[in-house]
Amino acid sequence: MYLAEAEARIDVRPQAREPEALASDRWQHFPYSALAHHGEACCEIARQWVVAMDFAQLNGAEPTSGPRWLRHKYKWGPSPWPMHWCEVVKRKTIDCGAHAALALEAFRARGLTAFPAQLVQRYSEEATEQWRGKWSGEAVSCHWLDGEHIYHEATALLVGEDEIKIWDASAGSWVCPRQDGGYGSLVAARIFADGHYGGGEGLRWGERRLTPGVWVQI
Amino acid sequence: MKVYVSGLYCGGNPQPGVGIVRSLRQGYPNAKLVGVEYTNRVSGIHWKDLDDLWIQRPWDELDLDLYAGKVRELLDGGALWISGSDLEAMWLASIFPDGHPNLLAPSAAALKRIAKPAVEAHRGLPVKIPPFVSSDLSDWELHAFCREHNWRIWLKGPYYDAARVPGWDSFVAARAALTKVWSTEKLFLQAHVSGYEESVMLAAYRGELLGCVAMRKRDVTAEGKTWAGDVGPVDPAFEKELRRIVRELNWTGGGELEMVRDAADQCWLLEMNPRFPAWVHGATIAGHNLPALLVQGATGIRARPAEAEALEFTRIVLEVPVRADYPLPALPEPFAGAVGHSMKHPSGLTSLAERMHKKDAELIGLVADGAKGEADGKPDVPEIYLSDIDAMELDGLQTPQFLFFEKTAESLFKRAADRAHRLSTNEVQVVSGYSIKTNPDDRLIRLALENGFYAECISLAEAQKAIEIGFRADQVILNGPGKWWPEGMMPKERMHAVFCDSVADLDRCVAAIRAGEMSSKHVGIRIRTPNVTSRFGIPLDSPETFARLIEAAARLPQDTAFGIHFHMASSNIGVAQWWHLFESMLKWCRSIESLTGRRIEILDMGGGWFPDDWHSDDESKFARAVETVRAMLPGARQIVSEPGKAMAQPSMALAMRILEIQEHEEDHVEAVVDGSIAELPMYAFQPHRILRQCGETGALQPLGRGKTHLMGRLCMEHDIVAANVALPEGTRAGDMLIFCDAGGYDRSMSYVFGRG
Repeated sequence: MYLAEAEARIDVRPQAREPEALASDRWQHFPYSALAHHGEACCEIARQWVVAMDFAQLNGAEPTSGPRWLRHKYKWGPSPWPMHWCEVVKRKTIDCGAHAALALEAFRARGLTAFPAQLVQRYSEEATEQWRGKWSGEAVSCHWLDGEHIYHEATALLVGEDEIKIWDASAGSWVCPRQDGGYGSLVAARIFADGHYGGGEGLRWGERRLTPGVWVQI
Repeated sequence: MKVYVSGLYCGGNPQPGVGIVRSLRQGYPNAKLVGVEYTNRVSGIHWKDLDDLWIQRPWDELDLDLYAGKVRELLDGGALWISGSDLEAMWLASIFPDGHPNLLAPSAAALKRIAKPAVEAHRGLPVKIPPFVSSDLSDWELHAFCREHNWRIWLKGPYYDAARVPGWDSFVAARAALTKVWSTEKLFLQAHVSGYEESVMLAAYRGELLGCVAMRKRDVTAEGKTWAGDVGPVDPAFEKELRRIVRELNWTGGGELEMVRDAADQCWLLEMNPRFPAWVHGATIAGHNLPALLVQGATGIRARPAEAEALEFTRIVLEVPVRADYPLPALPEPFAGAVGHSMKHPSGLTSLAERMHKKDAELIGLVADGAKGEADGKPDVPEIYLSDIDAMELDGLQTPQFLFFEKTAESLFKRAADRAHRLSTNEVQVVSGYSIKTNPDDRLIRLALENGFYAECISLAEAQKAIEIGFRADQVILNGPGKWWPEGMMPKERMHAVFCDSVADLDRCVAAIRAGEMSSKHVGIRIRTPNVTSRFGIPLDSPETFARLIEAAARLPQDTAFGIHFHMASSNIGVAQWWHLFESMLKWCRSIESLTGRRIEILDMGGGWFPDDWHSDDESKFARAVETVRAMLPGARQIVSEPGKAMAQPSMALAMRILEIQEHEEDHVEAVVDGSIAELPMYAFQPHRILRQCGETGALQPLGRGKTHLMGRLCMEHDIVAANVALPEGTRAGDMLIFCDAGGYDRSMSYVFGRG
């Protein structure tokens, strides 16, 4: 069969098809999490404690080491928003947005360049059902759950001129850029970097390029 | 095709044999695969892919010449041999120094060039070798290496085994154990590198790289061994250099480069193994069947192409049927009263090491090649010590007896004073504080006074003693949780500084100052080191405690200057970590300053410096530290450092005499001395440089490493004041031994015991 013949049998015109919904569409206009500050001593003590403790916990290791201690100190789980600095440090459990916000502050206080990162990950309906129950039980929004997909937050760390690593503070590990499918895999990522990082090509993450401000399907 | 494969151990730290067999079976479904083992206790012999077994007696029983002849016969007969054991590969290399076409293992010359830890052949690869030293060095130097690397250290055996040695006592114990197991003192210490472990596996035949593949560990066992990993191509730049190295070494066989990638993306090469790794079949699952490639390279017979099932692999535990011909051996009974069934190395591998050393003493020279060090382990004893001893009348000295090294002490205090002067600027004065508790000997306290030190006191009794010797109250710094003891001895005059050890202590100080019972120019707080365990100071480990500290500091009198004190022994945590702690503390200080609104005018930092670290000729770190304080705390007017141990420890020695020499089997000697751990309580924490005074000539000879234990006079099992030293020839009962470096806590914490 020749191409022309095939085209005659099936409709290949792009405008004739509904564009396939992307897993990240639901969170297209979703802002990344940021901690609020009362502008008073309560929040400033908390913020300075996080920064000083982060440096202490480095133990002389490379400043580009992931701040593992945050996950050790604060379990991952539901937390109400908006959240102030003085509130976040007192909690035993915080969600990925709070973890990522703390990690962002820690990296930047070390003198490194870091950006907020939003991720969409794929798990399973069973997993998201469990999380929905847990979050609802604490009267916290389940906006981050959608079928087998979840919205997640992390922190991108600039490690070269245009290269980044992505720190998942809630997992206490770097997100593996090689993974490309399956349970727990990354479906899409969006980095909030200034435009000049990576130029027009975007920031390099493993073999990929991530254009700042744009959801990139993995 | 017949292939002999050894290294079938499948425990928690498995050998690669079974993985090699599984991969060969995939590449050559019809090949005859024969498993070689030296004990029937190894579970891998029961793996279904093995067509036959060639079980030998354990290495400690084997007639090696006879066995070598049989292996030669097999190889000459056309069989191939892939070794899965480092030591067996070394033995085979000694039998076939130039290799054998059917022996798929590296030659002796190639093995020599990959000897760990230096791995000479690595040059050109984008890797570094973690710092290491041979255990041949003197204990004094080994202790320095451990401090330099923050006690994040591994003591490694010549072939296998590694023990983490977080302290001196654990190092001494691990050294004794590894020396015994591997029949050699040729061990090495290597700095730990923190990061992610990854490996490159290779297969080569006669210098041609047939294939290589990279693996990153994605899950590890408690021992740090691979449990899961992802497999990928080797970086082209790495592969290019690897190809060149393989050609240079004329490598044949499998191989593995074990590496750690740190947070700065630097790769550190831990070792290069002369065999395939245990995860070899994980790579085959990912489409890289290197054992088959190796056989194909050696025979020219094409292997069935490997198909990738997945790019990641993991392990599970499988139960397999036991072969009827090799029923399970009986489980040895635990030693009476002992816990567990001790049966490590049932194949007698450690005996092979011993037998090979005896056969070829140079063989062990392959190991730790490139590690610097003298063979006898004798320390360098400073000339000034010898000069101090020369000036003493030792004849008839009642022992055990502490000796005061006058010239040494004078020079150390003067040196510290000169340094403080040099580091001081118009804005910031650098001074030293002599920690009385380190050694409250009057002579040392007087030297401190004469050299412009402040007196650092942890009790009122100490403060009183300093004042009695001539310190003024305004030269006293009062510190610690016991500063109110004993009652009624608080100086009436104004002290230089008081640091509060807790919020309760702070409130008591504030009350005492208000009541006129205490007076000090500076009143500050001691902060507890976060992330380094300490019981002293106000904790910072939660935002709540930090907030309490900020509130409490606001209660301090406004008419006194504010200051901060922190203390952590650098000799315990290591030098580099101490400097990080210093920088971390300055960050806390800056936060405290900004949150309390109180300017920090005095910064008091201890301490616990090992003398060699403190008196290092390189002053740049200290100068940089002063600059950093100025930059971060612009209000600071005075920096007090506490080099107490660095002053006191070298200033005294302990003289003791040998009471009796007992000779035991295999050159082991126990010499009983009249000293004991009651006079040398730091024996478990630091080495001492020991001199023997010749009974005839009076000459002083440093003790190197040997098989003598110096047993203290106490009837206490652990009273061993030095282990593994060598007494010079001619040593006899009555000779004097001088334990240098005993003037710090050895002196101040010594206790009266066993004296009636």
